[in-house]
Amino acid sequence: MDSSNHSHELKLNKFEAPQQLKTAIFAAMFIGFLGLAYGLFKAPDRLWTSYLVSFFFFACLGLGGMFFISFNHVAGAGWSVSIRRIAESFTSFLPAMFIGSVILILGFKYLYPWADPSQAHRLTGGKALYLAPWFVTLRLVIFGIGCLIFKKIMVGNSIKQDQNGDHALTHKNVGFSVGFIAFFAIFFTLFSIDLLMSLLPSWYSTIYGIYAFAGMIQSTMAVLALMIIWLKNSKWVSGYITVEHQHDVGKYMKGFTIFWAYIAFSQFMLIWYANIPEETEFYLMRSHSGWLGVSVALLVFRFAVPFLALLPRDAKRNDMNLAAVSILVLVMQYVDLYWLVYPNFFDGIPQFGFLEISIFVGFAGVFLKLMTGFMTKNNLVAIKDPRMHEALNHHVTY
Amino acid sequence: MAKKRAIGGIAGIFLDEATTIKAATRVREAGFTKFDALTPYPVHGMEEACGIKRSPIPYVTFAAGCVGLLAGLALTYYTSAVDWAINIGGKPMFSLPAFVPIMFELTVLFAALSSVGAFFYLSGIPRVDPPIIDKDITCHKFAIFIPENDVGYSADRAEKLLKDLGAVEIKKMAEY
Repeated sequence: MDSSNHSHELKLNKFEAPQQLKTAIFAAMFIGFLGLAYGLFKAPDRLWTSYLVSFFFFACLGLGGMFFISFNHVAGAGWSVSIRRIAESFTSFLPAMFIGSVILILGFKYLYPWADPSQAHRLTGGKALYLAPWFVTLRLVIFGIGCLIFKKIMVGNSIKQDQNGDHALTHKNVGFSVGFIAFFAIFFTLFSIDLLMSLLPSWYSTIYGIYAFAGMIQSTMAVLALMIIWLKNSKWVSGYITVEHQHDVGKYMKGFTIFWAYIAFSQFMLIWYANIPEETEFYLMRSHSGWLGVSVALLVFRFAVPFLALLPRDAKRNDMNLAAVSILVLVMQYVDLYWLVYPNFFDGIPQFGFLEISIFVGFAGVFLKLMTGFMTKNNLVAIKDPRMHEALNHHVTY
Repeated sequence: MAKKRAIGGIAGIFLDEATTIKAATRVREAGFTKFDALTPYPVHGMEEACGIKRSPIPYVTFAAGCVGLLAGLALTYYTSAVDWAINIGGKPMFSLPAFVPIMFELTVLFAALSSVGAFFYLSGIPRVDPPIIDKDITCHKFAIFIPENDVGYSADRAEKLLKDLGAVEIKKMAEY
């Protein structure tokens, strides 16, 4: 490859979060704390539904970072190594996810019918065992600790490589990635079933885990795209992260937009067609009065608009356009989780207010705090990765 | 691009990729617009070097996809709700969710087949007797071909330009 086509000057400086961002993060965490305190004393029911949605939203971003680096390792992808460290920075939320899921145990009795002994008659046979609070807690803990172990090993190897440039670390990570994907496939499915689907224990859908996964990976790509737009020509790094990487992450986001619609429609159509009362319950709740609008908004703004807005090549290479679509995708990821949780508690009337916003903002503050902390402590780019030359010469043909 | 008429011109043979890309850039800068680069494998950056515009195929795909979507809707609507409507599921005759899979499939079918058709048309495929500039272009050599109908073409000028840019051999082609 003739380097004259890609004559970037490579620059990599230590990351330091801008002062305004630090202030914003602090303010966000403070607002979150206020919301938590207010909710605990005044409206614990609303607090815990809001907490569940925001917790799941940010857990998905942390897990999505892990999943992104895993499938790139497994595929032996070279183009993505210069943006891998950004995805790795998302995984710094995983310790908070573990703590957050332990805190969530306190809210079980407000959220889940299975945690309420007076509702026990609604559960029979295997379901009663599966949804026994101790068993749900056990799965949550296994998932949290398992993710932390994989994160420690895989991200640790990547950072170690920055110092010694040992190629063996890349090969080691392939094996761990395969392990993580297998672990993740099983336990993320259970995680979504335990936290979201069991809000309505009498209803089940076998595609639910994939539905949650589709939203997870789509929203992770949106954050990754925003980070690339922010960092690619910043004062900390230039040359390593280019519009070509932005383009490919945009393609992933478009791909998973279609994937989400495909899964969501597959779930809906089979239930609609078969029309069995025990299955239609879920969609009945969401197809009348206030919730119908939210359901239609999901179809339009989570699939149709991002799909068309990401279709042209230039749309993915244009910063403003890609950033706008990424933000829309993130908003709709929140709306989607909200749509999964809230209709179980608020029949016909969507509720949204200070408690929802403050808890979300608080989680966002924690996420950004941990992420910028990771970015300050480590290089912004995995500089000694053996496939770095592929990423630097990455070029999306037309 | 499809070339119906035989057009002659000058071809320069190059031995390596980097020289060919540089030469293509210079030929473009010299004002030629219809020239072509022939390489044994896809060369990154060659599109920019030659100044090749993006292919119009994506627009064909999109338009055909939209037609397919509407065709799927029309087909399902006509066969389920207009002509010989039979209610066997207790649903309304016009039930969009049941039609979506067919609309989706026809979108994909129309878009895919039209893309292939557009690609064949634009590439001039099938062409059974392509002219051969140099048989080694499919193996290890590179060529830049400047057709005689190009802007500001003269045989001497094209030949001199290609030689100056490092062509090891110049071939006059009667047709291409």
